[in-house]
Amino acid sequence: MGRIRQQGPQPMIRDAANAAQAAKAGPAVSVRGVDMDFGAGPLAVADAGFDLARGRFLTILGPSGSGKTTLLRMIAGFQTPTRGEIFINGEPVSKVAPHQRAIGMVFQKLALFPHLTAAQNVAFPLKMRRFDARGIPARVEQFLDLVRLGGLGGRRIHELSGGQQQRVAIARALVFQPDLLLLDEPLAALDRKLREEMQLEFRRIQRELGVTTINVTHDQREALVMSDEVIVMEAGRIQQNARPVDLYRDPANAFVANFIGVTSFLPGRVAPGGLECGGILCPGTPRQALAAGTPARGAIRAEQIRMAADGAALAGLDFRLQGQVRDAIFEGERQLYEVVLPALGGIAVQVYHHDASDFALTAPGQTVTVGWNRRDMILFPAAVP
Amino acid sequence: MRPSRAEYPYRWRLMDRLEAAADRLFPRRWSRWTGWLMLAPALLLVAVLLIGLVQIADASLHTLDRKTFRTSAAYSLDNYRAALDQGVYLAVLWRSVLGAAIVTLLTLLLAFPYGYVMVRTRSSNLRKLLLIALFLPFFIGQVVRAYGWLIILGNGGLVNDLLGLVGVPPQRLLFNYPAVLFGLVQYMLPFAVLMLAPALTAIPEETEAAAGSLGANWLRTLWHVVLPMARPGLVGAGLVVVSLTLTDFAMPAILGGGGQDFIANAIYDQFFRTSDQGLGAALTLLLVGIGSLVVGAVFTAFGAGTLAMGRART
Repeated sequence: MGRIRQQGPQPMIRDAANAAQAAKAGPAVSVRGVDMDFGAGPLAVADAGFDLARGRFLTILGPSGSGKTTLLRMIAGFQTPTRGEIFINGEPVSKVAPHQRAIGMVFQKLALFPHLTAAQNVAFPLKMRRFDARGIPARVEQFLDLVRLGGLGGRRIHELSGGQQQRVAIARALVFQPDLLLLDEPLAALDRKLREEMQLEFRRIQRELGVTTINVTHDQREALVMSDEVIVMEAGRIQQNARPVDLYRDPANAFVANFIGVTSFLPGRVAPGGLECGGILCPGTPRQALAAGTPARGAIRAEQIRMAADGAALAGLDFRLQGQVRDAIFEGERQLYEVVLPALGGIAVQVYHHDASDFALTAPGQTVTVGWNRRDMILFPAAVP
Repeated sequence: MRPSRAEYPYRWRLMDRLEAAADRLFPRRWSRWTGWLMLAPALLLVAVLLIGLVQIADASLHTLDRKTFRTSAAYSLDNYRAALDQGVYLAVLWRSVLGAAIVTLLTLLLAFPYGYVMVRTRSSNLRKLLLIALFLPFFIGQVVRAYGWLIILGNGGLVNDLLGLVGVPPQRLLFNYPAVLFGLVQYMLPFAVLMLAPALTAIPEETEAAAGSLGANWLRTLWHVVLPMARPGLVGAGLVVVSLTLTDFAMPAILGGGGQDFIANAIYDQFFRTSDQGLGAALTLLLVGIGSLVVGAVFTAFGAGTLAMGRART
């Protein structure tokens, strides 16, 4: 890694060596109070703010229209924030054109140059950024090796498979050693097997080079698998910024709880020790302090609910309840049940069950017992109507 | 139950009737010939054209006897010799070829930014304006347009009036080579833009953004990315403009005032003024030959561009 850092002139933003040294201490990327107003409707991005430390992998996760791509495009320099400022290595960049930022970007449709070979695509940023021409072939070869495309440099883009094209796009975005790598949903178009392979591949390359990376996706699995940190966005606002594990275990609000994983919600009121729902106290823990009697929703994940035909099997749980299986969906590695709970006013919860030997036992219509522990249901204040 | 109109629109019913009628006229078991049947009219046209070309080739091999005004019975190459020996025809040939080259170059230079803005602009009003400005000249024939330039560029025309206002004496703007080339460029521009636009549309904006993020300013993006990717369109547009210019008649005739003839004008004179069919036919074949050579050379050097349709995708 250190070996290649020494070749060629440095990208423009890093021209002053001591400025770069000073910046090393601060975050690699810093977004402060950024708004984006497209004129019509609500703000596309509202009051976005976060810091990203050097070498970290951040994923911005959100449904389509949540403003995640707009935020990424502002960091890349294709759009200028209506309000607020973005700092890269401590420098404000709003007035810096994309081609003057030291940012590598992998685009959604890759945007490879079809009239050039794989190697020429990778050499393109080096030529545009006026690297020493004598060093270019070696550098290109090195990065083609890094993405495991050694020997395929002479191929035209259309002679490469989808996965190989992805690799060319990664090499092209990284070869000039940018301060920051941006990924604009480049994996969205791949089939599942290849996508999962490339997720690990991105992760490997990112760790190997230690480049600060921001990835944008709507795929929660991708966000959890690849990232050091995840930001969840919805309706232009950042909902939560946390490590993947914390995001999953401790969602900040009902939106995040619902967006990640398969979650059931029980409506009711806060009561000591849990949620009062249909006259029954369901054990749960509030995310933040909530006064008793406050309208609330209890969120519980499908894999935290236990289920058995015989209630005695669930004796150790904090809470047990009878229900009736309404639907059973076979998902291969597990089975997803929809269980109606008459005692709670006929609410249905979703339950994952992994024990393959039980599949035959629980067919739709069957009566079962479900149950969970207090810590597994999180209470959120009910959305204001 | 009779299906309602919403479920089974009239258009489908009409198609059913037409299909039934077509089935009676051209039974389904002949369907392997349907393609050829549809090609037949076009093939017929090309065949007629080929027959005409053979007849012209035949005519070009008989010389005209100036005393009797009858064509010789014997075959000879005298007409070609005449066409290539006399300086006047060589000058006309050279003027046409050079003109085609200059006009093509200028037209592509002007059509590229026009097409690019038309394809890329975010303002639908600007796009509409550019499209209307492009199509309007199509409704005005070439002759009328050339005549319009006569009025504007004439000695007492608009341009000389304006020059007079700033104290410039009247200029002779018409009946010279630049006037002919100017008229031709103006005439060819819409063809070139229309040939270029699809190729420019096919370049994703993301690709240009990518070039920017990789460190290319707009000029280098244009040179290294947009122009190479637009090559099929440039080749297609260039071929159309070259062949239309090389064979143009009206612009040299009207804006050249008889002193700036292209090959087509010389051919016209042989057929309809001096009635020397043989020489006219020889010039015609020379024109066909030169045109084919130019197109062939471009094909070999750059590929067939958009004219290759689905084939050569490189």
